[in-house]
Amino acid sequence: MIIEVEKLRKEFNGIVAVDSISFSVERGEIFGFLGPNGAGKTTTINMLTTLIRPTSGTARIAGYDIVQQPEQVRRRIGLVPQEVVLEGDLTARENLVFHGMLYGLSRQQVESRIPELLAIVELEERADSKVKTFSGGMKRRLELVKVLIHEPEVIFLDEPTVGLDPQTRRRIWEYIRTLNTEKGVTVFLTTHYMEEAEQLCDRVCIIDHGRILDIDPPERLKHKVGEGEIVEIELTARCEEFVKELEEAGLRVKSARGCRVSVVAERSEKVLAEVFSLAQKLGTSISSISVREPTLEDVFIHYTGRSIRDEQGGDTRIKQIARRLKH
Amino acid sequence: MRFLREIYVVFWKEMLVWVNNPMLPVVRALVFPMMWIVIFGSAFGGEVNHIPVAVVSQDSGDLALAYLSMLGTGRTLELKYTSPSEAERLLRSRGVYGVVYIPAGFTERLRSGERVKVRLSTDESTPQIANAMAAHFARVSRSFSARFGMEDAVVVERNAVYGRGVKYLDYLAPGVVMMTILFSSIFSGGLNLILDREFGTLKMLMVSPISRDAIILGKIFAGVAQSIASGVVALTVAMLMGVHLKSGALGFALVILLMFISGFGFIGMSTAFATRITQLEQLMVVMQVIIMPMWFLSGGLYPLESMPDWMRPLAIVNPMTYATDAARAVMIRGIIWETLLVDLVVISAFAIAMFLVGSYSFKKTLGGVK
Repeated sequence: MIIEVEKLRKEFNGIVAVDSISFSVERGEIFGFLGPNGAGKTTTINMLTTLIRPTSGTARIAGYDIVQQPEQVRRRIGLVPQEVVLEGDLTARENLVFHGMLYGLSRQQVESRIPELLAIVELEERADSKVKTFSGGMKRRLELVKVLIHEPEVIFLDEPTVGLDPQTRRRIWEYIRTLNTEKGVTVFLTTHYMEEAEQLCDRVCIIDHGRILDIDPPERLKHKVGEGEIVEIELTARCEEFVKELEEAGLRVKSARGCRVSVVAERSEKVLAEVFSLAQKLGTSISSISVREPTLEDVFIHYTGRSIRDEQGGDTRIKQIARRLKH
Repeated sequence: MRFLREIYVVFWKEMLVWVNNPMLPVVRALVFPMMWIVIFGSAFGGEVNHIPVAVVSQDSGDLALAYLSMLGTGRTLELKYTSPSEAERLLRSRGVYGVVYIPAGFTERLRSGERVKVRLSTDESTPQIANAMAAHFARVSRSFSARFGMEDAVVVERNAVYGRGVKYLDYLAPGVVMMTILFSSIFSGGLNLILDREFGTLKMLMVSPISRDAIILGKIFAGVAQSIASGVVALTVAMLMGVHLKSGALGFALVILLMFISGFGFIGMSTAFATRITQLEQLMVVMQVIIMPMWFLSGGLYPLESMPDWMRPLAIVNPMTYATDAARAVMIRGIIWETLLVDLVVISAFAIAMFLVGSYSFKKTLGGVK
């Protein structure tokens, strides 16, 4: 186990951000923390990367205690925080050199590693351009390999694709997989994107209000919602009666919000016939109906009763001003 | 050794960013001081009071006493009666701005209708004071002469011992040079730290294994180096505009040393502020409430002697006063250690204290695990 977390807890002025969580991550895994904003994901990362001190409990990374041996831990980890921490006025190469020097590497050592790393994220041609000319996606890519300069055993990615368009997001996933397989680095990431956790992670840990709800591979988590498929129905009228009738007919109604109803079905054909005949009986009509595989979103709703909404509040005021000043 | 290398790494990155971002240093180091010199170099005026002047009198006749008492009337001068050697010492150590010599036979010669010359040795490194002093002497001598029905019974012979031919621009330049250090320290220390924290650049240093002390020292040294660079540009601009550096190469080196010491103090001070500040607006408030007054109350623009009495204590506790005074002494009067030493001791003490406070509070805000 490369990460072992034991009853890790963090309070800020009496408010519990992370509530005595325990889990472990295997070497070589891509491990995801899935939860809404404010679930305690970043706080956990900050504790594991020695940025803040836990209120109680502890964790070991590559065998070193995060509180007792922070320097040993720091040598073995890399962190890509949510905000871009590149120096915009320096080139990609200079950023990498500076980063390597922070870890005691000589300039020559860093220079010798740069071509390979930049090749992984397809930035070789931009090595000597100033980072402030990069797009958001390019900066992320550079960040991803920047933290590999000192050959860490684990990298922590805090919301690695937040704020990126879907296409760029997919490319970033590809890069993360490549890093994981080619460099053999363990990846710990946090996300509030279901798809990201599903596509990328070997195991997903669902976290909400500072507590772990479940940890399992995405496929296994989805099966916990129920075997089979999900039928989603939207009605035009008489919605409450319709839900009642469905339940009386012995169907498993997973959720019902107004006139949007979803039903878990082992055999969707049978359920569809039932739905149509009920609608006819009640004299209402179906405006849409679809059948799909369960997703982690369903898993999250299953555990918490609510969906993960993107509550990204945007930048604080100081960040906006600061950005104006810097660029 | 490793520690030094770590300091160097942080320093190197800071300097690289600075060099690569030409806009800010240019505005800070060039446009700002030039604007100040040009705008204030030809403006400003004010009444100068309480100018200390030593009196060496070789005549105790009634007319000499009457003349001196006329000189001492009003708020312009503060007369100190001394021996010739003491007067010279006072002028040298800036205890007085002028020495007036009343010659032997002053009373007798006036009585017999002769003209009398009164010698006034001055320190003109502060031109406003020298001019106010000379104007007062001329005015008093004219009205004193009127008693004898003559226009020029008493003639004042002005002799600049220090700072001959100093113009307001010369007076202003040292203040502007030190102001550049003060202001750029705020940018290189405070603002930089706030931005770093906001952008997570500090986080990047914090998760790396380099020592926390190296982060702090590297940043502070880089800030001081950047301030000195701005200061040197300001000094060069001033010299190109015709400001003349009295003590030559050694003086230049001394001004750099002054920049170094006060830069440390100001960087420490702004770092201490920045650690308490979460919003840029607050930094602007600090600028306006603390930094601007430090500059205006330093005697950099106009001599402290022109301030109202209630304001002077503020200037006395202002470290900027000593930095400016030292720079001015070196640039205009030459290297006179007895006056420089006081300034050096005060700004060094300020620098050490602020460096300690700044690095301590920086370390505290870094927080986390040691």
